Amino acid sequence: MKRSISDYLRLAEIGNRLRDAFELWGYCEIVFPAIEEYSDEIRKGTKFAHGNGFYLINPDVTSRIIKNFSDGRTRLYYISEVLDGGVRGKWEAGVEFIGGRDVSMHVEILLVAITALESLGIEEFYIDVGSLEVWKEATRGIEPFRDEIMRALQRRNFGIIESLPISPGRKHRLWELFNFRGKRSGLEKLDAIIEAVEDERVFLDFGTVRPLPYYTDVIFEIYSPKLGKPIGGGGEYEVKGKKAIGFALDMNALLKLYKGRKREGKRLSGDSVKEVYSKARELVKMGIPVEVDV
Amino acid sequence: MKFVLPKGRLFKPSVELLRKAGVELSLPEGRSLVSADGRVSIARAFDVPVYVEHGIDVGIAGSDVVEERGSDVFVPLELPFGKCRLSVAVPAEKPVEPEDMDGYRVATKFPNITRNYFSRLGVEVETIKLHGNVELAVRTGIADAIVDIVETGNTLRANGLVEIAKVMNVSALLLVNRIAQKVRFEEINGLVMAIRRVIDGA
Repeated sequence: MKRSISDYLRLAEIGNRLRDAFELWGYCEIVFPAIEEYSDEIRKGTKFAHGNGFYLINPDVTSRIIKNFSDGRTRLYYISEVLDGGVRGKWEAGVEFIGGRDVSMHVEILLVAITALESLGIEEFYIDVGSLEVWKEATRGIEPFRDEIMRALQRRNFGIIESLPISPGRKHRLWELFNFRGKRSGLEKLDAIIEAVEDERVFLDFGTVRPLPYYTDVIFEIYSPKLGKPIGGGGEYEVKGKKAIGFALDMNALLKLYKGRKREGKRLSGDSVKEVYSKARELVKMGIPVEVDV
Repeated sequence: MKFVLPKGRLFKPSVELLRKAGVELSLPEGRSLVSADGRVSIARAFDVPVYVEHGIDVGIAGSDVVEERGSDVFVPLELPFGKCRLSVAVPAEKPVEPEDMDGYRVATKFPNITRNYFSRLGVEVETIKLHGNVELAVRTGIADAIVDIVETGNTLRANGLVEIAKVMNVSALLLVNRIAQKVRFEEINGLVMAIRRVIDGA
């Protein structure tokens, strides 16, 4: 849909509110140049040739972070337009926590997502948490069928699994996982995450599969009953031997849900420009927003 | 639950199947595209996956259009109608293997499927997107071949064409919006199970 200046202003406003929320959790903003040298490891972006080289304009930020990460423990966030290979882009706000520990990093990143949405006044949403390890375990011994089973999951088509030459017991187990949605699964790590997050909008759902090549185990999808498309999602991955987890929010989706509650400035007016601006300067110094009319 | 159904040959069997599965549908009347209760919409078959991707809970469309649109939707069931195939056809007097079609100009309603098919074979073709009766493109000389739906092969024969390769089998599919699957988990699962019982009993 064609956007107006007011949409872009609101998009920036959403970006700024998210920045505040991410900073409160101790995350630092990272910015990259618009153009990056082409690499197989970097997803999305629009490819072009210049001189003898190939380049990408505004590719996926997580894969850029993974490629360029050297060492340490770090909490990052970004707000960036990501191009789709053509001339269209999608504004994304994402967060990455690299070098964390099991359970605590999962809990933290889910809470960052929840509080970030709440800071936009978006309260009606759900987060479904899934696990790739659960499926790896459930398909142990039938590895040749793993790809087909993952395809069945991505399409949510159990018929594909039923047509596989595997035992009825196994099919039954896969069917149970396929339809599992709840708060307790009996799996220690996942149950611990859900319990510590303690939010009625967060569920375990093993039918949730986000097929990104770098995810290693826990994955999640964030959605609102008001929109037909996900608001965002994320998952766990590994970078240079360190455990990491992150998520990205689709800012176009947020734009549809955000009602906008800009903080009102204190109105200042008077005859003397000098006096009014001197007062305004004092208020701004104290962190109080102003709106000057002289 | 909101439904979007395809106009054309899939419409009647879709309504029948849903009714057998116990779904009470009041259909749009006259020229309206939406039923009086707002639950059922009727769209061009090609557009059904797009409506489901963007928010209508459930739809029915052919696997050809789902593949062509590349829509991000759940496909819980293959349905027992709308069976046909998508094939490559060329003039009967000039049969050729798809592997030897480098440089061919191919007319089709399905440019994405066509490009993917030939690129998997390592063959570079030019595609021309048309909206129907694509056989005409070969007869008038603006294309060398077509990729189109084949049911009986009669239309191909009547237009001097011969089928040389199958691109994919086509069937009607049940489509479910990804978010609806979560928000209406029980309701959608119930519908899928009811339709399965109808299919298995048929």
